[in-house]
Amino acid sequence: MAKGRWWFGFALAVAGVAALLAGVYFARETGEPTTGEMRGKDATALFGIALPDTKGREQALTQWKGKVVVVNFWATWCVPCREEMPQFVNVQRELGDRGVQFVGIAIDQPDKIDAFAAELNLNYPVLVGGYGAIELSKALGNRLGALPFTVIVDRAGRVAQTQLGPLKDRELRAIITQLL
Amino acid sequence: MRPPQTEPGRRFAAALAWTVAALWTGAVAAAGPKLLEPERAFAFSVQALDEKTVEARFAIANGYYLYREKLHFSVEPASLAAMPTLPSGKIKDDEFFGKVETYRGELTVALALQQAAPGSKVVVRAESQGCADAGVCYPPQVQSVTVTLPLPGMPPGAPVAATPARKSWFN
Repeated sequence: MAKGRWWFGFALAVAGVAALLAGVYFARETGEPTTGEMRGKDATALFGIALPDTKGREQALTQWKGKVVVVNFWATWCVPCREEMPQFVNVQRELGDRGVQFVGIAIDQPDKIDAFAAELNLNYPVLVGGYGAIELSKALGNRLGALPFTVIVDRAGRVAQTQLGPLKDRELRAIITQLL
Repeated sequence: MRPPQTEPGRRFAAALAWTVAALWTGAVAAAGPKLLEPERAFAFSVQALDEKTVEARFAIANGYYLYREKLHFSVEPASLAAMPTLPSGKIKDDEFFGKVETYRGELTVALALQQAAPGSKVVVRAESQGCADAGVCYPPQVQSVTVTLPLPGMPPGAPVAATPARKSWFN
């Protein structure tokens, strides 16, 4: 019996450690989960605005309406933002002609944006947002105003998904493919 | 919890069930809202040590960090007698910005004041920028605390926690 207890205790300990590791793993993988409250709503906050690109030209977001638009709020000072962007470049290249349009909104300075865009061979437009862009992201469901924050909008202009924290490549492709 | 039954098989099954339940709980806990508001992740407080020194303190939540070079302090209506000496942080190699230093846990910085009247109130402001290990970064935030400087020879004031953060824009 004593031996049985020991065994059970050991199993509990193993399970506890496994649970802890699982928690840490999931937490690291996903960041804050997808916020659902904006899903299905019109992305009016997004399509009503225009922001300058790094050359100072105003770009209205409505120009991309009708496509599957992936709006990514990011900054060069945000490491997790920079880390997920190469996958955006890949997906834009692979699915762009099927109607996917990535648009970056950087909470940053134009020279830094350009430097990073060049390093990455960025193949989609980046607009320059000030603190107002953080407010815009909050209007789209970014409760904490943190980065990266990504909004996926369907062809009808409705929010299909929002995500605070990095998007997994597989997840991103699954969502986009469904909307094409 | 029920004591283990006789055969090892049943014990194993119980342990397995427990593991699955624990894993599931872990996953659900991870899926729930868990990221902190920036002012909680980087809790700012100030203590007046004497008539011309205040101590700024960040209590950085576990799993969060602040960037050393994004940390700036100012005081009003007095001014800083010198650039505050920031402790060395942990060096991180950033492929875009090069070597950067980060702080975790407790961070205290002594601020020497000049033109501060003993017994008067001063506002201490900190601008900071940090991230969470979970994979998000917070925009720069400004937090401020008002403390009363003690008269010469009097004991230090009590630590005062920051009022809700103000929006900020980086330089």
